[in-house]
This record gives sequence, C-alpha cells and structure tokens, in this order.
Amino acid sequence: MAKFNFTLNGAPAEVDVDPSTPLLWVLRDHLGLTGTKFGCGVAQCGACTVHVNGGAVRSCAYTIDSVQGADITTIEGLSGDGVHRIAQAWIDHQVPQCGYCQPGMIMAAAALLSAKPKPSLADIEASITNICRCGTYARIKQAIFAAAR
Amino acid sequence: MSGLKETAMNDVALSSAPRLSRRDVVHGLAAGGSVLLAGRVGTLELFAQEAARAAAINAFIAIAPDGKVTLQCAHSEMGQGISTTFTAIIADELEADWSKCETVFSPAGKPYRHPLYDWQFTGNSESIRAYHALIRKMGAAAREMLIAAAAERLQVPAAALTARAGRVHHAASRRSIGFGDVAAAAAARPVPSEPRVKPEREWRIVGHGRSLPRIDIPAKVAGTAVFGIDVKVPGMVHAAVVSAPTIGGQVAAVDEASVAGMAGVIKVVPLGGAVAVVAEHYWQARLALAKLKVDWQTGPGGRFDDAALDAMYRKAMRGDAGWAQAEKLGDALGVLADSQRIIEAEFEAPWTAHTPMEPMNATVAAADDGATVWAPVQGIQMTQVVLANVLKLPPEKIVINRTYLGGGFGRRLLADFVAQAALCSKAVGRPVKLIWAREEDIRQDWYRPAFLHHIRAALGADGSPAALHHRLVAPSIIKPVSPTPVKPGTVDALAVESLVGHPYAIANRRTDYHMLEVPIPTMVLRTTGQGPNNFALESFIDELAHAAGRDPYQYRRQLLAHDPVALAVLDRAAVRAGWGKAPNGHFQGLAFADGFGSYLCQVVELSMVDGAIKVHKVTSVCDPGRVLDRVNATSMIEGGVVWGLSVALYSALTFAEGHVRETNFDAYRVATLPDTPALVTDFLENRKTLGGLGEIGPVCVPAALCNALFAATGKRHRRLPLAREGVFTVYGKIYG
Repeated sequence: MAKFNFTLNGAPAEVDVDPSTPLLWVLRDHLGLTGTKFGCGVAQCGACTVHVNGGAVRSCAYTIDSVQGADITTIEGLSGDGVHRIAQAWIDHQVPQCGYCQPGMIMAAAALLSAKPKPSLADIEASITNICRCGTYARIKQAIFAAAR
Repeated sequence: MSGLKETAMNDVALSSAPRLSRRDVVHGLAAGGSVLLAGRVGTLELFAQEAARAAAINAFIAIAPDGKVTLQCAHSEMGQGISTTFTAIIADELEADWSKCETVFSPAGKPYRHPLYDWQFTGNSESIRAYHALIRKMGAAAREMLIAAAAERLQVPAAALTARAGRVHHAASRRSIGFGDVAAAAAARPVPSEPRVKPEREWRIVGHGRSLPRIDIPAKVAGTAVFGIDVKVPGMVHAAVVSAPTIGGQVAAVDEASVAGMAGVIKVVPLGGAVAVVAEHYWQARLALAKLKVDWQTGPGGRFDDAALDAMYRKAMRGDAGWAQAEKLGDALGVLADSQRIIEAEFEAPWTAHTPMEPMNATVAAADDGATVWAPVQGIQMTQVVLANVLKLPPEKIVINRTYLGGGFGRRLLADFVAQAALCSKAVGRPVKLIWAREEDIRQDWYRPAFLHHIRAALGADGSPAALHHRLVAPSIIKPVSPTPVKPGTVDALAVESLVGHPYAIANRRTDYHMLEVPIPTMVLRTTGQGPNNFALESFIDELAHAAGRDPYQYRRQLLAHDPVALAVLDRAAVRAGWGKAPNGHFQGLAFADGFGSYLCQVVELSMVDGAIKVHKVTSVCDPGRVLDRVNATSMIEGGVVWGLSVALYSALTFAEGHVRETNFDAYRVATLPDTPALVTDFLENRKTLGGLGEIGPVCVPAALCNALFAATGKRHRRLPLAREGVFTVYGKIYG
C-alpha cells in the first residue's frame, strides 16, 4: 500500500492502495466514480477511457503509480453540472443502446475534438478505436460531426 | 391490431394479473426502484415515499395524487430501448401524459411473466410482440377505471367522458379532472373484464412514424446510469473468480495459505468449476487470485481441440445415427434421386461468444431467511429459481433488483454468475459484488456452437429449386433455457429456425437435424439459429441463382411470388440499394430472412482494394408489422448490421488443450467504428402480426456480404468468419 495524490475532476484526491492498482479500479472502487467502465482490462475496448493531463488514456491498463501528481478527468468531470456539448450530441442522435461503452466513447471523442476541433472521417476512424457491441458506430460518427460544428 | 393469438392472450391478461394490495405494490416498486428510477438514480427511501402515495390501479400502473404515473417494465433494458417503448405502449392506452410517466423495472412476479410461457425473461425478441395485447389491455382497463371514478366524482355518465393526456374531460361542461385526483377511487373500483382497447388510429404516443427520446439515454451519457457493475450496497465486499483450465474441470484442492496475509483478503471460496477470492476491494481480490494455488481436475472432454471437434461434426454429418426430421414437404429425396441437375454445398459457421461490453457480474446479499440480488439479468425468473436452489430458500424469498444491462445478447438469460455471488455472500456473511474479468467472461461463457450444414438442391427445367434437402449438425442451443428437458435425437426448434417453415416456394423440402453432443456448454446467442442458418441458406440460394444463370434478386422474387408482403420487402430493398446500379467497381449481394416475426432484406455493397474488402453500404428493409418507435427501430437494425459484420468478418473461437484460445478482444475480434459503412434503413408495415426487432438486424449480413464478395471475386466463401479464410477488410489489414 502507498499513498498517491492527483487532481481529479478539478479537486485534489488522495488514495492509499497497492501501487499496481489500475487507475480504473481506484476511480470505481476507492473513489466511487463508476461512470468509467471496465470492459476488457487490457486496453483493447476503451470503455475505461479517461483524460490524464488532457489526453485520452485507457485507465484499466494505467497503474495508479503512473498518475502521481497528474490531472485526471472522468466522465463525471467532463459533464460537470450541465450537459456537455458532446453528451448533448449523443442525446440528439440517440446514440447509446446498452450505453455501457458510451462514457468511454464520449471521453475519446472529447480528446479528439480538443486535438482536432474539425475532424475528418479519417481522423475519427483513426482515433475512435473503442468497441461497442451494440454497434452504435454510425451514430457516433454523426454525433462527433455534429459536436464539431 | 396484431393477430398475435389475441384472444388467448387476452384471456391470460387479466387472469394472470391479480390485483396486488397496496402493500405488495409498494414493496415491489421499492425493490424495482431502489437502483433505478426512470433513467435516473433514485434512493430507496425517496422512491418508497413516492410509491406509498401512489394508488396501484393494476400490476403495471400506479398513479400518485400529483398525477405522476409509475409504469412497470417487465423486461430488462439491455440496449434495445424496452424501458421506453414497453411503458409508452401502456401510457398510450392509458391516455397518460408521457411527460408525467416514469418507468421502473418490475420485480420478479407472476403478473410480469410471458403470457404464453408463464416465465419471466427478456429474450428472443419477444418483449413487445408477446406482451403487446396484455399491456394494452392493462392500460385500457386502468383508463376505464379512471373514467368511471371521474364519472362518479363529476356526477355525469361515464360515456360522456374522455381521457386524454393524463386528465378525464367532460366536454359538455368543459370540466376536467386529473388522473391523480381520481386514482385512489379508481384503484378501488372493479376491474372491467373487457375494456375497450384503442384502435391504432387513436395511438398518440407510439406508432405512426413517431419516436420518443429514450428515457435511459441522458443518464447513460452522463455516466450516472447504474449497471450491475456499478451497484453499491452498504457493507459490500468484492469477489474475483478464476475458472478451471479445461472446460468442465473442477477444483481438486485449494491452498488458502498461498494468499494468507495479502491485503484486504477475506476468504477463498471454492465454487465447483471455479474459485473466488473475496476481498475488501476488487483489485485486492484480483491480486490474490493471481497468487492463489489451485489444483484442478480435468473436465470430461479432456484436452480436446479444434481437430477433435471438427471430427465429431464430420462424423455426425456422414453418419446415419442421431438424426431427427425437422421438416418434410413433398418428397425431396425422391425428386433429388430422379434429378439430372443437383447442386450441393457445405457451409460452416464458427463457435462464438456473447461478449457484452459489461462482463458478467452480480451483487448478492444472502442471509439465512432470504437474499437480495442487484444484477443485470435477462433471466429474471431464472435468477430467482437458481438462487432458491443454491441457497435452499423458497423463490419468493429471493428479491431481484434489476439494473441496466451493459448488453446481454442472450448470455444473461442464465444465472450462473449470480449463483457464484450468492455462494460468496453466504460464505462471508456480507453483501458481495462478484465481477468476471473479460477472460472469465469468455472462458465461462455458454457459447454459440459451430453449425455445419450440408445442402442439396435439385434444379427444375427453369432453374428454380424443385427440391431442397438440408442437413444440419449443431449442438442444442435451447437446452439451458428450455423449461422442458431436451433430449439428443430430437429437434431443437431454435437450432433449425429459418430452415423450417421458410416462405420460399420450394415444393419438396426436407430438413434433418443432428443434435451433436459436445463437452462444451452451448446456448442461444443474438439471432439464435437464424444467424448461422440464414448464412448457409441464403448463400446457397445465391449459388442456385448463379447455376441457373439468373439475377439473385429476380431469383428470390420468383420464390416469394406467392407472398406479396415478403415481395414488397425484397422490392423495397432493391430500390433503396439501387440493385444492379452500383458504381463502377462496386459489387452487391443480397439476402432475405423471415425471423422473429419480421421480414428482412439486406443488400451489401462492397469493393475490393488490393485484395481486401471495403464495405461501402448496407441497405436494410424490414417489415415487423408495426414500427412502434421509428428511431429506436432504426437503431436496432443499424446496430444489428454491425453485429452481422462482426460475425461475417472477424469473430470466432478456437479450442486447444480443452479450452478456448481467444479470451479477450485482442484475439476475439469484433467490428469497430472504421468497419461501419453507410447504413440505409427502411421499414414496411404490412405484416399482419407484430415482429421483433432486437435480433433480426444481423441476420442477412453474412450471406449478403459473401454474395457480394462472390460477385466481386467469383469465389464462393462457405465458412465464417472470412478472416479465418484469409479474407480481410481494408481495416482488418491495417489493424491486424
């Protein structure tokens, strides 16, 4: 066990956990933020996507000892008190089906739009590599284009 | 509107929905509402207060004095939008104000069971079509009770009153009264035996091209929707599980000392074919599990592999033993024996896994006198029955709280993972949340088995099929969810789906089925038998069209000439896809299905880029009788197409050393965003009965894609997935 400090959704956070604990389980299990989902544990599916220092990372394969002092944003922090414009685009296009992968999708989309405010289809195809078993990809593409407008 | 055995179902409707006492309803609502309240998270206490003020008109409808309507959804929300459409149907019939309606997931209970099967589950695309008559009648009965109560209050005849948007109106005096004001009086009135169910033209919330914003979506995009894995219960601890290295293997011995003293570890719990470590936190359980020393007995199948399985299928196909006749029309064997022109081919669909995005998990608080479950389950009653057996309690002592499901696809019809959580809870005397790692989610899956088809057809003088003989070897898929025993040598009705009773006009037809026994657990998976069977049949029909020198669309038109409703689906798909008018270098393939009560025709358009497939467009035209929510229906088909692309292109399990090789998404490949082509989706509403939409969407994609591939390359692919055959997509090549 060891103590780790970082900024979480704009506020200071501290946990005392095994250094090998993935950020995902620190968020879900120790800090109670369950919007970030567990899907594969091997950084393949992206359901656990969060932002670390502004970039999208897959928190299931990101151990807590690598985020000491980092600035972390989760789906809960992205939306804040209102509805984030990307989340609103997701609502407008009725994107989610089961919805389990969608917080990760939205975090991946937010990172893409920060880096490229007007992404091309090729940009979207190259950066949104998250898995959705319900197959909502067509509407995800539409929603990202709408949010980029 | 729908035929749907309406009379029989209506008889069941009222008799199967006994009036619940207010106490029962409050208890039931509180259970359902503890986790989820109409797409937002509600506290148990708050909901109990709200429910206590509400008058229960019947098992599906409660109305509070302020006019808030609480509607029970008998089904589980796994992405299909049922938590919106199911209750919207009731609200429409009730003449409620939809903005004042809230959906809760019902408890396990007799009023919520499938009206024909007397069993509560969410599956087989039946949630609307099986319950439609029942819930409309429930809404209609409640509406009439509200009107009767209002008539008494206003001192006017009931016939002078109409209900609309949550109020009862008296046109002559221009007075109206809110549902909430008469709900308590209405609840005390007798239930009308034959309430007037509204004709379709009076639908105001569903149908007629309408769509409702899904109630679950705002919470799902905010990250606040509660899935099973998100449940928090006071005092809860966590369990991680590892299963035997061979399928069916059992724990021989566990060395609990191997994890002694590890941080947070509470207990090691042997579970027969698996072992769990229970710890204060989930990752502590995972760390301990990785250190835990377990001796395993090998399963009854030993260290079997693909070659051994393949030999079992081939031997069964060649042999005469174990066959059951599933369908016989005319004399197919006689016509084939006399025919000069026989086409035959063998098709193979692979072993696949369900892999919903949310791995199997459950939270259970087991006590000596009862247990409470919070879990994402399709098998609502199954969970109750299984836990009653495991915990040796009466079923009614098992309270089921349903969360959102992060996908289901059939897997959550079973309750094995809930039983593991229950045993862990019992062992440690605390509520336990048990979560399978993705590797366990695949290793402990009950798989869609491989399907091996041998088909022979005799072509008549005009090139159309005069006889068809279909032989199918596949393990049972219905067995683990069948209420009655399934015996080898008999027909599994789900395994032969779409082969039996197909609308194609083929006068002499025979389907034989061999229920293969394998040392691997098998069960239904999205599209049930329709998926693999449609791939075989619709690829083969294309081969026949080619042999006859005919256009595949026109060839199918002739086979459906007797069925104008099916023909309309085919024709609309051809028009929407621009059949025969693809741009230069693009190739088209199509397939047709009659499944889950719906007709579907899909057209795949692709091109070849340096030997790799690029799918440009998939056109889908579906006739489910009635489209109750247009946007959601479109979602089901669109998502289905992607599922079908996974099946056609990528997904397969292989076996070695007695278990699956592919245990995560790095090896078990599924379609991703770049694989998704342009999607054109359209509906017709000509069928006389209501069809399902949750599973039909993928059904034609594999055959249509392979037919387009044949048009492009002249090579016929009869074995899925294509990646296994060395055929890749442009993205498959890039991403490996």
